[in-house]
Parts: sequence; C-alpha cells; structure tokens
Amino acid sequence: MFPTRVLLKRSIWKGPNILPLPIPRIQPGQTPPIIKTQARAATILPSFVGLRFAVHNGKDYIEFLVTEEMVGHKLGEFSMTRKPFKYSQSKNR
Amino acid sequence: MPLLWNNNFPDIQLVKKALESFYGIGPVVCRTIMARHFINPGATMGSLGAPKVLELTTTLMGMKIENDKRGEVRDNIKRLRDISSYRGRRHAMGLPVRGQNTKSQIQTARRLNKINRAG
Repeated sequence: MFPTRVLLKRSIWKGPNILPLPIPRIQPGQTPPIIKTQARAATILPSFVGLRFAVHNGKDYIEFLVTEEMVGHKLGEFSMTRKPFKYSQSKNR
Repeated sequence: MPLLWNNNFPDIQLVKKALESFYGIGPVVCRTIMARHFINPGATMGSLGAPKVLELTTTLMGMKIENDKRGEVRDNIKRLRDISSYRGRRHAMGLPVRGQNTKSQIQTARRLNKINRAG
C-alpha cells in the first residue's frame, strides 16, 4: 500500500548492502565455523541462515546464531555496543 | 445518533473526526475511505443517512482497526524482541529506540516502549 515506507530505508537501485564476508564452503555433515567480522552494516541474506557470526561491537566480538527471522536486518543490530548503566557505591570513601 | 462500528456518534460530529477516533485510522486512511464512499470532507454524521453508515461499517469490518491493529503492533515489537535485535531490546528496557538522547526527556519512551505495548 505504501511502497515508499519500505523504500525510504535505502535506495532500491543500491540493493541490499552485500559485503565480501569470509563465508566458507562447507561439506554436508560438517558444522560451519564461526565467522568473525567487523562489517556491522552488512545485510543478513537468506543464505546466512544457520551460520554463527561473531560481530565486533567496538570492544570484542559478540556471537549469535542467524535465524530465519533475522533476514533483512543488519549484522550490527545483534551485537550491542552499549553497556547498561549500573550504580555501584565507591569502595574507598 | 448513528451507530458506526459499535460506537455511537452525535449527529453534529464530522465524519472525518468520527473515523479518526478509531485506532489505526489516521488522516490518510480516512481520506481514502471517504473518497471511496463519496463523502464530502465537511460532512457530518447526521447528514449521512442509514445506508451510507452501514456501508461505512462494513468497510471498517474488513479493515484491521482497534484491537486487531494494536495486536499487530505488539506482534511486530515481539518479533524484534524474539530475535533480540537492538530495537527489541530497547523496547524491553523502555528506552528510546531510534537513537534519541536519554540524558533527559524520555517520558514518551517510558510510557510507550514496552513488549506489551498498550497504546
């Protein structure tokens, strides 16, 4: 009904943000290795489903498993960059 | 007092106002509905007549409004939470979702950003 709602995210002529990720070709029966990457802006493609990613959040690599519902989101959405605020009383007063 | 989708509206109320009182109908959707039924933008509920009101009600029956629409919004938020994306987590924490500052003024987010969103 409102095609612009979807299109406003990103120009259609660009297509999804596809980046060269080190995705290995795996033989059937083998478990795929964890893919370590800093490409937070890469779009999750349908071919990524079932793979484990370790995505950089600025400090360390956060692991997660890609499921079918994540397709279309970016890799960075699943690796938090902020630490929740926690109040702690100072030790030496 | 015409009865429109289980709600009574006074005769002097504008049709536009009456339609927009439903959750899920805003100015744009309201304009399309009124255009489809050949209703004047300044028409009041009293000037419509019973058959027209019935037609409007059947149109509203086929649409996703009120509780159905609220459920849809809730499902969308739940999907984001289930895949534990940034937006889903911000909803669960009751914090702004789209990168707003949180130093002050996040009352709207505190009120609305929930997994079981009420409004």
